[in-house]
Amino acid sequence: MASSAVAENPYRDLDAHIESLLKCSPLPEQDVKALCDKAREILIEESNVQPVKCPVTVCGDIHGQFQDLLELFRIGGNCPDTNYLFMGDYVDRGYHSVETVTLLVALKVRYRDRITILRGNHESRQITQVYGFYDECLRKYGNANVWKNFTDLFDYLPLTALVENQVFCLHGGLSPTLDTLDHIRQLDRVQEVPHEGPMCDLLWSDPDDRCGWGISPRGAGYTFGQDISEQFNHSNSLNLVSRAHQLVMEGYNSCHDQNVVTIFSAPNYCYRCGNMAAIMEVSEQMRKSFLQFEPAPRRGEPEVTRRTPDYFL
Amino acid sequence: MADEGGDDSLYPIAVLIDELKNEDVALRLNSVRRLSTIALALGEERTRRELIPFLTDSNDDEDEVLLAMAEELGNFVPYVGGPAFADNLLGPLETLSTVEETVVREKAAESLAKVGTQLPEPAVIEHFIPLVRRLATGEWFTSRVSSCGLFGTAYHRCPSQMRPELRSLYGQLCRDDTPMVRRAAAHNLGRFAERVEPQCISRELIPLFQELTVDDQDSVRLLAVDSCGPLARLLTRDESAAHVLPVVQKFAADKSWRVRYNVAQQLCQLCEALGPDLARSELIPAFVRLLRDSEAEVRGAAGGKVAQFCSLLGANESCVVAVLPCVKELAADSNQFVRASLASVVMELAPMLGKAATIEHLLPVFLALLKDDFPDVRLNIISKLDQVNKVIGIELLAQSLLPAIEELAEDKHWRVRLAIIDYIPLLAGQLGSNFFQEKLGPQCLKWLSDQVYSIREAATSNLAKLAREFGPDWARDHLVPQVLGMVNNPHYLYRMTVLVAIASLAPVVSNDVLCHNMLPVVVNCSKDKVPNIKFNVAKMLERLAPLVEPVVVERTIRPCLLELNSDGDSDVRFFASQALAHTTPMISA
Repeated sequence: MASSAVAENPYRDLDAHIESLLKCSPLPEQDVKALCDKAREILIEESNVQPVKCPVTVCGDIHGQFQDLLELFRIGGNCPDTNYLFMGDYVDRGYHSVETVTLLVALKVRYRDRITILRGNHESRQITQVYGFYDECLRKYGNANVWKNFTDLFDYLPLTALVENQVFCLHGGLSPTLDTLDHIRQLDRVQEVPHEGPMCDLLWSDPDDRCGWGISPRGAGYTFGQDISEQFNHSNSLNLVSRAHQLVMEGYNSCHDQNVVTIFSAPNYCYRCGNMAAIMEVSEQMRKSFLQFEPAPRRGEPEVTRRTPDYFL
Repeated sequence: MADEGGDDSLYPIAVLIDELKNEDVALRLNSVRRLSTIALALGEERTRRELIPFLTDSNDDEDEVLLAMAEELGNFVPYVGGPAFADNLLGPLETLSTVEETVVREKAAESLAKVGTQLPEPAVIEHFIPLVRRLATGEWFTSRVSSCGLFGTAYHRCPSQMRPELRSLYGQLCRDDTPMVRRAAAHNLGRFAERVEPQCISRELIPLFQELTVDDQDSVRLLAVDSCGPLARLLTRDESAAHVLPVVQKFAADKSWRVRYNVAQQLCQLCEALGPDLARSELIPAFVRLLRDSEAEVRGAAGGKVAQFCSLLGANESCVVAVLPCVKELAADSNQFVRASLASVVMELAPMLGKAATIEHLLPVFLALLKDDFPDVRLNIISKLDQVNKVIGIELLAQSLLPAIEELAEDKHWRVRLAIIDYIPLLAGQLGSNFFQEKLGPQCLKWLSDQVYSIREAATSNLAKLAREFGPDWARDHLVPQVLGMVNNPHYLYRMTVLVAIASLAPVVSNDVLCHNMLPVVVNCSKDKVPNIKFNVAKMLERLAPLVEPVVVERTIRPCLLELNSDGDSDVRFFASQALAHTTPMISA
C-alpha cells in the first residue's frame, strides 16, 4: 500500500486520551489544560439554548459515578454511534469526578455534533469546593490547577438545549423571569453560577405539586407548578420540559400532566440510595422511550492513590 | 553524603537522593523503582558503601515507598556484587520486616527469604541465622510474624548443629501469646516441614501441629487446616492416618463455621494427599457432614466439590450412594448460592454414573435446577450441558431445557440475557442445526432488537458463531435474509445493529451472498438520513473491503465511500476518509 494513501488520523492523540479515560485513568495535568482550551473554543460557539437534532439519548445527573457512566454506555450504546445529551452534574459526590468530566469533555471535543453537555448546578466553583470535586482534584493531581481549568470551562457550558424545537432540556427548571426561549438566549452565561436570578433558576429550580411559583427549600431557584409548565410549553410551542437535578427512585418520573419529565442517571446515588437510573431515547420520530439501569457490578471501590496535598508541606 | 564538587559520576546518586527526599511521593516512588538502574550506574562497591546505608536510613517513609523498596531489595543481589556480598542487603530488609504495615512486612520477609537462599554458607551462619533469631525473639509481634516465613530457608541452608535451635524457636512461635504470631506459624508450618528431616516431623512438628489445631482462636485453627495437606504428603500413609486424618475429621466438625468452610474448600487436596483408599474409607462421612452443614457457606463450598470429590475417589458405588442423597437435598436447599454452587458441578457427575443411574438419580435434579427461581442456577446447569449430553443425549432434557432458555432469554436483568447468549453457541453444537433453528433461531434474531446495546452487540457476534457452527449454506438460508429484512427498522440504533451483524457474518458467508445480498444493503444505507448510520456504513465497508474482489472495491465500495467523504456531517466525512485510506485502490502506480 502506498504510504501516501494512508490519511493520518488527525485525532490520534485525542482518541488515545479517550481510550485511556475509558479505562478510568485520568489524563496528565497538561493534557487536561489543552483539552479544556479546545473545549472552550467549541462551547463558546454554542447557544444558551443549544439546538439538538433527533435521534438523541437524554441523560441526567452522573455525579462522578464513573463505573455507572460506563454502564450507561453499555445500555445506551457508545459515543459517537449513539447521540447523547447530558443535562449537567458530572462532578461531586462520586469517587471519580475527574475521570467522568474529563471523559465527557473529551468526547465533546472529539465529536461535537454527537454529544451535547449542559451545565448543572454542580458545575460551579463554589459548589465543587464543598461537595468533593475540588478535593478529588487535589488528591489526584496534588494541586488545584485541574480544578481551575475545569471550573473555568464550566462557565462556557450551554444552559439549555432544544431538541427539534419540541423538547426543552435543562438541569433544574423554569424561572419567573424567563417566559420565552428568547429571554434565555439573551442571557450572558459566561460567569460563575450566580446566587439568584434567571441563570441560577435554570440550574436550581424544581417542579412542585403546588401551583404557581414557590420558595425552593434548596435556598436557590424556585419551585414551579403545573400551571407554569403548561404556560411555558404552550407559549414556546414545546411539548416537554426534560430536566434532571432531583433523585427519582425509578430513574425517571413524569409530572405536571406529562409536561415535565425528570431523568436521573446515577444509579444507587452516592453508593447508598438504592435508586434505579434511567436515560431517555428520543427517536427519529420524536418518540420517547425510557431505559432503566442498575449500578455496574463493582470490585473494591474506592481506589485512590494517596497523595499529600501541597498545603501540608 | 556524596560531595557534589563537579564529579559527573556522582550525579546519579545525587539525583536519587534529591528525589528520595522530594516532597512528592510520586517522585520518591519513581526513584525507588529505579534503584537497580541507579545501582548499576554507581557500581557494586559504591552501591554497598553509599546506597545501601542510605536506604537503611530512609525507612521512615510512606508505606507505598517502603513497599517498593522491600520489593526492589529482594532482587538486588547482583547489584551489590553477587552472593558473596548479599549480606549487605539484610540490614535494610530486617528493618522493613518489622514495620507496622502488613504488606510492607510481608514483602520484606519474602525478599529476605529470596536473599537468604543466595547467601554463601558462612554468611548464613554469621548473618542470616542470627537475623532469624533476632526477629523470632523480637519484642514486638511484627518481627516475630515476619520470622515465621524465614524458617524454611534458614533450616535448609544452615549446618545440622544449628537445626535443633531453629526447631525449638519455631516451637516458641507456635506457642506465642499473640494470635497474630501463632497464625503466621500455623500458616508457614507446611512449608517449614518440607525442609525438616522426616524423623523430626513426626517427633517435633506433629505435636506443634496438634496444639495449633486445638487453639482457642478459630483464625489460628483455620490456618492450621492449610498445613494438613503438606504434612500428609510428607508423612508415610500410616503416619498420616494416625496424625493428620483425625485432625481433618475433627476440623470437619469444628465449632467455627469458618474452619469447616476451609476444610470444605480444601477437602479435595486432602483426599489427594491421603490417597484414595484412606479417603474413601475415612473421609466420606466427613464430606457428607459438610454437605449437610448448618451454615449455607459451608454447604455451598462442599456442594461445589461434589464432582471433584467423587472423581478423586474413583467414582465408585459407595461414594455415589453416600453423596447422591445429599445432592438431592442441596438441589432443594433454601439458599440460592448453595443451589448455584451445586448446579455449577452437578452435571459432571453424569459421566461417572453412566446412563442408567444418571437418568434415575440425576435427571430429576437437573430438571429441578433448570426450573430454579434464581437465574444463576439455571445458567450454571446450561453452561455444563455438554457433560450430560455425552451420557444421556439431549432429548431427555430438551422439554425442560427450552422453557428454561426461553425464560432466561427474556429475563429482565440484561446481564442474565447476556449470559445465556454466551452459552448459545455451546447449545447449538449440542442441539444440531435443525432442532436449533426451529426452537432457538427466532430468539437469536430477536436479541438484535433488544433495548440494551450490549445485548444487541452480543447478538451480532453470536450470529457469527452460529454461522461458523452450522456453515455458510445454513447462514445463507436461516440468518442472512432475516437479518437483511430488519434493515428498515424505524430506530437508528437497531438499523446500526443490522450493519454490524452484516459485517460479522460477512467473513463466514459465501462471496456470492456477500456481494449480491449483503453489500447492496450496506451501500443503500449510505443514503440514510441519520449521520450515525452513514458513518457506520463507512466503518463496515472498511471491514468488508478485504473480503471481496478488488473489482468490487473499485466499482462499489470506493464510490460509496467517496460520496460519504463529501457528506455535510464532519463525523461521516472522517470515517469515510479513514475507510478510503485503508481501502487500497485496485490500480496503484
